[in-house]
Amino acid sequence: MRNVDVVIVGASLSAAAAAKRLIDAGLETIVLERKELPRHKICSGILSPRGHRFLLENFGPLPREALHEPTSCQGVTFHFPSMVSMSMDFFGGATPHLHRKYSDQWAIQRSGAEIHDQTAFVDLQDNGDHVIVRTRKNGEPTEYRARYVIGADGPSSLVTRAIYPQYPKSIPWFFVGQKFHDIVECPLDPQYFHFWFHPGLGHYTWSHARDGRQIVGVGFKRGDNFAQKHHSVVKYLAAKHDVTLQPATDDEGCGENFGPSLVNRYVFGKGNVLITGQAAGFLNMIGEGMSCALHSGAISGEAVVEARLRNRPVQEMYRKMIASEVRRTSDQWNPLKIAFDRPHEADFPAALMALGWRDRAKVLRDMWRFVVLYKEFNWGRHIVSSALQRPLLGGYSMRRWL
Amino acid sequence: MIPAEPNFHPIPGGLVPCPVGPDSLRGIKRQQTNPSRWDGPDWQQFVAAARERDINVRETTTACGVFATDAGGTAYGLPHGVVIAQSAGQISKLLKVAQEYRVPVTVRGGGLTTEGESVAFGGVLLDMTGMSQVLNVDPDGLTVRTQAGIFWHALAEELRRHDLDYLSAPLNLTSSVGGTLGVGGIDVNSPRLGCSADQAMALQVVTPTGEIVECSDTQNIELFQRVILGYGQFGVITEATLRIRRYTPLRMHYFYYGSLCTAVEDLQMLDRNDASDYSGILTIMDRAVNLLVAFDSVERETEFHKTWQSKLRGHGELAFGLRTLARYAVRPWKYAEAWYLLQRKRELFPEFRRSEYMRDSLMHDRTVVFSRAVWKFWGSRQMVIPDLATSSDKFVEAVERGNAVCRKYFAHYTLYCVGIKVRLEHRPHYEMSCIPPDAEGWAYGCEFEPVMDDGIYSRDTLQSFKNEIYDIGVDLGGSYYRFGGMMKGYIRRIFGDALVDRHLEMKRAADPAMILNRDVIF
Repeated sequence: MRNVDVVIVGASLSAAAAAKRLIDAGLETIVLERKELPRHKICSGILSPRGHRFLLENFGPLPREALHEPTSCQGVTFHFPSMVSMSMDFFGGATPHLHRKYSDQWAIQRSGAEIHDQTAFVDLQDNGDHVIVRTRKNGEPTEYRARYVIGADGPSSLVTRAIYPQYPKSIPWFFVGQKFHDIVECPLDPQYFHFWFHPGLGHYTWSHARDGRQIVGVGFKRGDNFAQKHHSVVKYLAAKHDVTLQPATDDEGCGENFGPSLVNRYVFGKGNVLITGQAAGFLNMIGEGMSCALHSGAISGEAVVEARLRNRPVQEMYRKMIASEVRRTSDQWNPLKIAFDRPHEADFPAALMALGWRDRAKVLRDMWRFVVLYKEFNWGRHIVSSALQRPLLGGYSMRRWL
Repeated sequence: MIPAEPNFHPIPGGLVPCPVGPDSLRGIKRQQTNPSRWDGPDWQQFVAAARERDINVRETTTACGVFATDAGGTAYGLPHGVVIAQSAGQISKLLKVAQEYRVPVTVRGGGLTTEGESVAFGGVLLDMTGMSQVLNVDPDGLTVRTQAGIFWHALAEELRRHDLDYLSAPLNLTSSVGGTLGVGGIDVNSPRLGCSADQAMALQVVTPTGEIVECSDTQNIELFQRVILGYGQFGVITEATLRIRRYTPLRMHYFYYGSLCTAVEDLQMLDRNDASDYSGILTIMDRAVNLLVAFDSVERETEFHKTWQSKLRGHGELAFGLRTLARYAVRPWKYAEAWYLLQRKRELFPEFRRSEYMRDSLMHDRTVVFSRAVWKFWGSRQMVIPDLATSSDKFVEAVERGNAVCRKYFAHYTLYCVGIKVRLEHRPHYEMSCIPPDAEGWAYGCEFEPVMDDGIYSRDTLQSFKNEIYDIGVDLGGSYYRFGGMMKGYIRRIFGDALVDRHLEMKRAADPAMILNRDVIF
């Protein structure tokens, strides 16, 4: 059995950030990845400028292999049922269009951590002064003994399930799926990520260009029909935006946890097990989770280092340190922050004010109708409570975190 | 048609230029500032070769773990081994072997860097505190020759035995002489004497290729110019000859302001007119601004009272207290801030008037008084002190913008402002340094220090705070005391590619394997 300081489950960007901090501080760290690297990852790949800056400062300039075509994204364009469209450039300038298969491998290699791929996490046992991690490598059971474990294994985190078996049942789950189409004609600007605030299309509808094809994606409550939802979006794009696409050649999808950042219901682990990245519930408002995964991952690594240096419980360190990332992420969903501040990396209020007053009214009406789509999740009380906590307490209550 | 799956090539360590759009991250140079750990391919051969030359390389986790971070506490790294400096000859041998095996050498004095400049991301950490002897004191010529690993407080102690004092040293006395000469150093007498690095007359330097060289303004001039304020890029300072002076206690006066702008203008007025021997600003937030003025002699003090005191717009302690009371009386929503100011005053003021330092209204050992207060009241476990240095005319704006950033991030903080006399004869030393290129007469520096108490902040929060302060410097065309480490990306934004590339060429010539203090500014 390997005996190491830290085992990180998952080889994504949050894992790379955590590993970077741990390796820098001289801790022996092993990263476990279920698949063989480089592995495919379902993702838009549009990283926010904040995430880009983190990658540069910690891992260096991106190699070409780690990017799709077009290599960069200028900003986002919001489309509304009233046919008003608003384009907003990112504050920090163009941002990379990551090819997650290669960018994740590049970052994890640059972290300097020892990588054990084709090693699937099975279970763990926290014994107080160490954690036993049980895995399967090529079907054979293997074990690791670590002082700390970091779960960075995405929204459907097995580490989270291992310590909170009931957690997945306590939050609503969504399905996001995307299909790839060869383009006949597409007037949508390939330099922008396009998003539709349209309650008739789904909870999360987007499109953008990638490697000469057009992605049409749709998110909805788990249980709905992907093909049907996708078909209605393609039809809508053809009718309203003159987008003509060939039938889809590929498709992919995965489960997503949209709620925790909105209602401050993060899960950070217990004992010597930390949960980070999207597994903890971090997701920016346009559905971009990479930048907060990088930052929260780094903080989980820092928390382990600090806990050792200060001889304090790692959960105490992590929860105090992660508060800044919670503020930054949940601010993006906070209606008061959206109305009176600039929590996003593109200027929505300025783009709104650039419209005529009639269009402004249409946009606000359409947004309200879109928000009403989420009524069934009964998040209203928590949203109001979180929004008020922010100015009154200077942050979000830690008591709602698991 | 672009293939959906680009061909994958082995990743060459991210050395390919980032192909993201040319305006990507506007204004931010694409540079890795939190360096990767050196992977140590030839470490064992290096250690064997070093030991053959009688260099003791300590590789235990305990020996290395001591140096995991610096005073800033935002960068963590671990050397492969530690060498404690013993002599210039030993360092010379170490650097020669390190060049041969291309092993990075990070030099550390007091470790008071704040951006990881003295943190080793692999390779050798050279601990200079092993060379901390005072070699010769010349009371007649008013010079001292000392080994460069000595801390300023130890040097002060030695000099006091001869009734002497150094000219100028950082308020934080556990910084080393060598480290200070490499970056700058400011004191409350810097408006008259310049930065601490200006006090150096001659240095013994071990170059990155291992030559032991004596340099000064008349001998090996170019090396002297590059080593002073050179961030440790062009050699390890092993010995220094410094100007010193007769010891005098200080005649201190404090004036209190409710406005940063007014206090800064008065500080600059005093400096322009050479009205005091010492001056500086220390604040509690931006509501209680203390202009400190001090003198070495009765004559200078009398002249100040006669000519300049009436021109200051500050108040005495009682008058300021009453004005502050009146201000908060009509602002009940700010009572928490008022309570904090009061508490801080109660704790802080007695520290500056302790009987062991104040005798006959004179302050003895000013640096001990201030240094003690820095650790007790300003410093916390982490010294998070981003700074700005600008020319005189931009300074008020720099301080006010930096103050707004402090308010945004922290409930409580403090500022420390001081002028730095620009010595015309030292212009060549100042190239690519903390002294802004457009400074005429005086440069001004401000340190912004959050009071973190027992708060625990992520490094990301602290780094974001610092970046916002540093961005003001870029906007205003200023400079910083603390260049290097995790803020090395700023050096090109401040000085431009042409100047930085010229220094990089010089560095490559002097340090072919680029081993000495790598990742600090290049």
